[in-house]
Amino acid sequence: MARRRGTRARRARRSGWGIGLLVLLSITIITLDYRGDLRGSIAGARRAAADALSPLQQGVDDVLHPVGSFLAGAVHYGSLQQQNAKLRLQLQRDRGALAQAQSLRTTASQLATLEHLPWSVVAAIPTVTASVIGSNPSNFEATIVLDKGAAQGIAVGMPVVDGNGLVGRVVQAVRSQCTVQLLTDVRTVVSVDLGATGNPATLVGTGPGNPLQVEYVSPTIRLRRGMLLTTSGQQLGLFPRGIPVARITAFHSTPSATDQTVQARPAADLRSLAYVDVLQWEPPG
Amino acid sequence: MNGSATAGSAPMSLADVVRTSVVVVVALVVQSTVIDVVQFRGAHADLMILLTVAAGYVTGPDRGAAVGFAVGLVADLFLPTTFGLSALVGCLLGYSAGLASAGLVRSPWWPAPLVLGAGAAAGTFGYAVLATVLGAPHLMHTYLVPALVMTAAGGVVLAPAVVAAVRWAVPVPGTSQASAVGAGGSAVASRRPTPSSR
Repeated sequence: MARRRGTRARRARRSGWGIGLLVLLSITIITLDYRGDLRGSIAGARRAAADALSPLQQGVDDVLHPVGSFLAGAVHYGSLQQQNAKLRLQLQRDRGALAQAQSLRTTASQLATLEHLPWSVVAAIPTVTASVIGSNPSNFEATIVLDKGAAQGIAVGMPVVDGNGLVGRVVQAVRSQCTVQLLTDVRTVVSVDLGATGNPATLVGTGPGNPLQVEYVSPTIRLRRGMLLTTSGQQLGLFPRGIPVARITAFHSTPSATDQTVQARPAADLRSLAYVDVLQWEPPG
Repeated sequence: MNGSATAGSAPMSLADVVRTSVVVVVALVVQSTVIDVVQFRGAHADLMILLTVAAGYVTGPDRGAAVGFAVGLVADLFLPTTFGLSALVGCLLGYSAGLASAGLVRSPWWPAPLVLGAGAAAGTFGYAVLATVLGAPHLMHTYLVPALVMTAAGGVVLAPAVVAAVRWAVPVPGTSQASAVGAGGSAVASRRPTPSSR
């Protein structure tokens, strides 16, 4: 009896040492990463892991996608869905072009003065059309994964758009795929111009499904619902100027407030992204 | 039960490590191609956390901690947050799941979904708390609630499959599963040794 109790105590001590060692090892790794000592090797390991898993992931995705479509009840649903997504992108592009033309017409004089040509700047930038193959791997971020990467000329910092406007920016690029941080991610901050007024403001993501927050809008600025916000090109040139970002959905102000409370929804349809364009434009410097 | 007295704390064999690696790779692929698609406000179930909880539930605190640490390190390769965070949460979660479920009888079907659902929610909460401590406060107030809902629901729904995968990967010595795997069979163990049986 006493021997069994002794064995149990020894096992408990050994178990305590084991978990203690693992916790210590974890904390050491976290500390080294936090201090930046392991940044190069960790980034390399992450790239290698993503590159290694990517073909398997795309292969399985190719297999499972038609299975899901079959289960949905249509024999050729998979190809039709893909075709539909491409047509939707084309339609969005056309709508974007129309909105651009209207925007140009209404603000032509001011644009001429400012030498600011929305979308025309973007039209001159080469693009890579990519397919969305996945969404956020973590529950604590709003990202998507595209099937094009560094091999196709995509680099960290490049803006990503659909036909309607800004989707986000590339935050990681490995050989055959890249990760895009969406506008709705809480880490997203975009410097924008308020419609034709040209007043600057800052747009902030507040999480998936939540409206975007527009900050630093003076109470004296006249807003209207549906007003288009475009990238200002400021914020150290994080985005090229003139990309539609969002439309205002609600705003209010109190007499004593220094700023208006403004909400907006993304111009791009972030809920049904299938194909997007990556602008091969990198922030200067 | 003498033969299984050291079951949960015995070192894993090479075959166990290989099978566990296979399960982790399959889980990663299934996660990115199937599980990530089913979302609620941007959140989805998390197979990596479920594997960790299941490892603790099936094999006990020691192996649970070891498997949780390894699975966490692999998960960290695919996450943008601080490297090592998932490994820390994983080893603590695997250990806690093993301790918390030590006295449970494994025969009924219902403990596994409960343990995995609660464990997944606890792991997600722990991850958010640690990430907040490390300077990402938005995790707590923006993403946490949908993440808790989806990981807990995912734990309940996916428990049978995940527990079966872990039982195949890390059979506990002295159980019918271990001998079946050793003989190339696929029987499912009904219980693992508990502290009271050791």
